[in-house]
Amino acid sequence: MLGEGILKGLAETAKNFVGSFFSAERMTTVEYPEERIAPIEAARVFPFLVYDGIEWDAGLRCVACQICEKECPPKCIFIEKSKDKKPDAVGKPQFYPTRFDIDISVCMSCQICVEVCPFEAIKMDNVFELSTDDRFDGLLLDRKQLAKPNAYYHQIHPTEAAVVEARLAADRAKSDAKQTAAAIASAIKGAERPLPPPTTGGD
Amino acid sequence: MVDEGLKIELGKQGVFVTTIEELYNWGRKSSIWPMQFGLACCAIEMIATTMARYDLARFGAEVFRPSPRQADMMIISGTVTKKMAPQVVRLYNQMAEPKYVIAMGACAISGGPFKQGYNVLKGIDRYIPVDVHIPGCPPRPEALLQAFMTLQKKIEAQHLTGAGRPRHLDAEGQGEFPVPVQGEHDLEPTSNKGVWPLPVIIR
Repeated sequence: MLGEGILKGLAETAKNFVGSFFSAERMTTVEYPEERIAPIEAARVFPFLVYDGIEWDAGLRCVACQICEKECPPKCIFIEKSKDKKPDAVGKPQFYPTRFDIDISVCMSCQICVEVCPFEAIKMDNVFELSTDDRFDGLLLDRKQLAKPNAYYHQIHPTEAAVVEARLAADRAKSDAKQTAAAIASAIKGAERPLPPPTTGGD
Repeated sequence: MVDEGLKIELGKQGVFVTTIEELYNWGRKSSIWPMQFGLACCAIEMIATTMARYDLARFGAEVFRPSPRQADMMIISGTVTKKMAPQVVRLYNQMAEPKYVIAMGACAISGGPFKQGYNVLKGIDRYIPVDVHIPGCPPRPEALLQAFMTLQKKIEAQHLTGAGRPRHLDAEGQGEFPVPVQGEHDLEPTSNKGVWPLPVIIR
């Protein structure tokens, strides 16, 4: 019948209108600045850099391998690699980014940087309140603005963070076991015969 | 200028004190009618913002006017192709003062994912002055609401006299911007030097 759909739609609207006087569930509007829709766990906006420990500067997981910079489709990441190495959160000397800028005016939230990162150093944030009247400074985030603690990552993406944490722990256990095995092997070798002559150059 | 504390004190006694400037700006910021104009996928989020769930009407922007003559604000929601750019500038010229522009999403601010392409304008602020930029691809409806509040704060803070006064109160203020034309290879001119000064960022 002609107009059947319109009548059905209007009936639905009328139901919501009358129902809103009796039930809070029929009130569809979420009055944004005062109340918010709870963020979905997988929601993502822009990337951020994860750091371990307390100090953002010392604990950044990023080792400036620049894979994300190369893979970024709209090329919104800019990294400057350090010349020297400095110990990371577990004390292993690593390169670090002296500059890590993300131009959020270009970023398209595709998450490719997160997928290619071998160090679990870059993750997706869910902060969306970033509008500004400052076209240049306001939309270019540097590494200090991007750095956020691991605890924050666990807070916004609990499931994903737990998986990542388990993988990192397994990797660490594996490398620890390898190191111990190597240490034992060298100790046995050292006990069997006198010290080998010192080698020079590469391996 | 009336002291803020004194004003509250007088308010308690039933005396309402205001300034012309405050009243004027309150009127300006509370009835910003957007233009019904969408360019790409961000427009879907803009439409969602006006619907019952988010309800932009709560901020005094209820009616999307289909004519630039009746609109106060232009939400550049989406990719501005070089073919569309002259029309966008022309529509902006046709709007009556006071008029505001929100650049919504990566494409409108900078070209976003199409930045390296040949046929997309690298940011609408090359031709018209933009008041608020919303990064995101696309920004959430809440992000548009937040941008709207940012614009309202900006209007509120404006003085009606002096150097930073609104354009329509400035006798020499120019509300019309040159419309680019399709040249042989690109739009001509490639940018309006008056609104797009070369950025100098020192970090």
